[in-house]
Amino acid sequence: MTDAGSERAAGGAFRPETYKDPTLVLELRDRIAALAAEIGRPVKLMHICGTHEHEIGRFALRDLLPDSVTLLAGPGCPVCVCDNEYINMAIQLSLTPGVILCSFGDMLAVPGSIPLEGERRGDVRMSLLDARARGGDVRTVYSVFDAKRIAEQNPEKEVVFFSVGFETTVVAVAAMLKRGAPDNLTIIEANYYTPPATSLLPELDGFDIEGFMLPGHAVTITGLRVYEHLAERGIACASGGFEPVDVLAATVSLLEQLRDGKPTVANPYARLVKYDGNEKAKRELDEVFELAPIRWRGIAEIPASGYWLREAFAAHSAARRFAGRLDPVALRGAEHPKGCRCAEVTLGQIRPDECTVFGKLCTPDSPYGPCMVSHEGTCRAWYVYGMHKDRLQVEAV
Amino acid sequence: MAPPDDLVQDATLPARGSSSAEPAQPARLVSRYDSIRLSHGSGGKLTLELIEDLFVSVFSNEPLRELTDAAIVANHGGRIAFATDSHTVKPAFFPGGDIGRLAVAGTINDLAVMGAKPAYLTAAFLLEEGYDMAELERVVRSMKATADEAGVAIVAGDTKVLERGHGDGVFINTTGIGFLSDDVRLGVSYVRPGDKVLVNGTLGDHGIAVMSRREGLELGAELDSDVAPLNGLIEQVMLVAPNVRFMRDVTRGGLAAVANEVVLRQPFGLRVFDVAVPIHELVEQYSEMLGIDPLLAANEGKLLLIVAADEAEAALGAMKAHPLGREAAIIGDIVRKPEGVALVETAYGTRRVLEMPIEEQLPRIC
Repeated sequence: MTDAGSERAAGGAFRPETYKDPTLVLELRDRIAALAAEIGRPVKLMHICGTHEHEIGRFALRDLLPDSVTLLAGPGCPVCVCDNEYINMAIQLSLTPGVILCSFGDMLAVPGSIPLEGERRGDVRMSLLDARARGGDVRTVYSVFDAKRIAEQNPEKEVVFFSVGFETTVVAVAAMLKRGAPDNLTIIEANYYTPPATSLLPELDGFDIEGFMLPGHAVTITGLRVYEHLAERGIACASGGFEPVDVLAATVSLLEQLRDGKPTVANPYARLVKYDGNEKAKRELDEVFELAPIRWRGIAEIPASGYWLREAFAAHSAARRFAGRLDPVALRGAEHPKGCRCAEVTLGQIRPDECTVFGKLCTPDSPYGPCMVSHEGTCRAWYVYGMHKDRLQVEAV
Repeated sequence: MAPPDDLVQDATLPARGSSSAEPAQPARLVSRYDSIRLSHGSGGKLTLELIEDLFVSVFSNEPLRELTDAAIVANHGGRIAFATDSHTVKPAFFPGGDIGRLAVAGTINDLAVMGAKPAYLTAAFLLEEGYDMAELERVVRSMKATADEAGVAIVAGDTKVLERGHGDGVFINTTGIGFLSDDVRLGVSYVRPGDKVLVNGTLGDHGIAVMSRREGLELGAELDSDVAPLNGLIEQVMLVAPNVRFMRDVTRGGLAAVANEVVLRQPFGLRVFDVAVPIHELVEQYSEMLGIDPLLAANEGKLLLIVAADEAEAALGAMKAHPLGREAAIIGDIVRKPEGVALVETAYGTRRVLEMPIEEQLPRIC
C-alpha cells in the first residue's frame, strides 16, 4: 500500500513479497472485520477480473472475510464472454485451406456452438482443439507479435489472429497494426471493453451488489473516470491489484465507502493506476479501433462495448476478408450448451457449485462451458482451488 | 561414488566433472561425418563406426565393449528394480543440463526412490537425419559424466535414425536395473497420519529454467535446472532414517502431481505449508511473471520423502549434509482429515486444494 508504493517510487527494488506480507494481510483482515461490524448488515461486493478470482483462490482469501461480506466474481474473463460467433468463425477459418489460425492457449478448448460429431456425452460442441484434431492449422501464440512473425514467415498463407481480450490485450493489437502489419495478417475482432458491462449489471433484476473491485490491469489503461457513473448511482468502486494485500486493501476501501455512505471511485492500487489511465495507450487504441456493439456470450449485446477496426485498418479484419467464405448459419447457434449456467456464473447470480454440471459433466480436463476452460474462468478457479468444498477442515495428529 | 567394481573404466578418456558445463572440447571422436546420416542407423558400416567410435569409446565398460546382443552383468543380490523412461526436451541444451544428463538421471532417480541401488543402464537413441555429430557427442559425454557421478554403467544400447523431419533432433530412452535388499519396504501403504513430508531443495527450478530459455526470457540472471541423480543422497538418508515410508522423484506436474498421487484413495490427507516450501528467488520471479505455480512446475533432481515424525529431523540432516540437499526442508505433514486431499496452508492460515495438474503449464495471457 502506501508504504510499499513509496518504497518503489523512491527507486527501491520491486519486491512482490511486500504485497504478500502475512502481518500486513492479517492486519487488513482485522480491519475488514471491524468495518463489517460497523456496517452491521450483509454486504455483497464484486470483482470483475478473472485474475482476481484466480488469486483469491490461490491464497484462499475468502477465508479471511467475515460471513457478512461476500466477494463475488463478475464478468471478468474475456474467454468466458467471447461470443460463440467468434469461436465458430475461428474454427471455420482454421479448417479453411491456406489459413493458419493463431490463438492464445486459453481459447483452444472453448466450445463454440458447432456440434461435435460422434460425441455422446450430451450437448458437446467443437473447440479449436477439435478443429486441430480434424486437420485445422491452429497455432498457440503468446501475443499478436507471434502471429505477425508467423505471417511474415508464411507469405503464401493467410494468417488469422484470434484477438480475444479486454482493454489490456487489445492495446498490443493496436500497437502492432499501427506500426504496420503484413497484408496476409487479419484479426478476428473479439475484443471487449469492460465499463459498459458494469453499467449493465445494475439494470438486472435483483441486483444487490454494493461495491465493485475494479480490474487492476484494465484500469491501468482506461483509468478510473469511466467508472464514475457507478459511484453516482450509489455503488462503491475501488481499483484492485492482484496481490493478497491489494485485494484486501481494495476491500477495505469499498467497506469504508459503504460505512461512510459516500460511494466514490477510490484508487488503492495507485502504485500502477493513474486516475486518467495511460494516455498514450488510449490514444493508440482510439486511432486503430472504434467502440461498437458486441455480444457478450450468454448475457446480451451491449452497446459500445466491443472494439472494431476503424476503416483505415479494416483490411486486417478477418470478418471482412473472409466474408464470402464463412458459413453464416453455422456461425450463430445456441449460446451455451444445455444445462450450462455459465451466464449466471459470469453475472455473479449463482456460485459455480450451484450449477448441476459443475465438477461432474464439466471439469477442467473435460470442460462443458467456457467458465471451466479458461484460467480466468470462475468455474475453473473454484474447481482447481477447491473453493466449492466446505472449508478444508484439517484434523492433524 | 565408485562404479561397480566389475566394470573397468577406460583410462584413455579425459576425466569429467559432475557438471554438464561445457568442458574443453576434445577432438571429435566420429570424424568422418559432421552430421547423422540414415546409414548410421542401417546396421552397416556407419552404424558400427558410430557405436565403436562414440558410444563404446565414451561409455567405456567391458559388457558394452563386447558388442554382444545383450550385456551380461553381475548380480548384486536381493530384488531387482527395473525402470524405463524416454526423454525429449526442447531445447536439448538448457541452463544447468542437457537431454543426456536428463536421460541418465531420470531413470536412476526412478530406481533410487524405490530404495534400490541403480547399477546398469541401457541407452537407445532415436536420431534425426542431419543431427549435428558434435552435439551428439556432447550429449553422450554428458550421459557418461552423469552415470559416473551416480556410479552407474551404461552397458547396452541401440541407435535408430529417423528421416529428416520425422524426429526432433534426438530422443533418448534409458532403461535401468537396480538392486534392493529384501528388507526395504517403501510405499504409500506404509504412510501414516503424523508422518512428515520433506523435499531435498528448491522446487520448480527445471521447469522454469527450461521455459525461460524456450520463451527467450531474460531477467539478467541465469537459473539452472536441478537435473541430477539422487541415488547418493537417498542412500545417505536411508542410513539414518530407516522408517522412510515413501519416496518419489518430483518431475513433470511438480509437487502437486506427487502429493496427489500419495493421497489418491487413501484414508489421509497431505498438507503442505506454503511458507515452508523452498523456492529459488528467480523461480518466484519468473513464475509470478508467467502466471505459473512453482508447485506445479517440473523438477529433475528433487524428491518428495515421507518419513515417521521421529526420524524427520535425522532425514533432514542427512539431506542437508549432501550437496544435492542443502536447501532441503520439512514442508508438510500427513493429516487424518480431509481424506484423499492434498492441500496448501498459506501464510495467512487459509487453505486451498492443491489440485492435480490438468495440462502442461503454459504462460497465461492476461
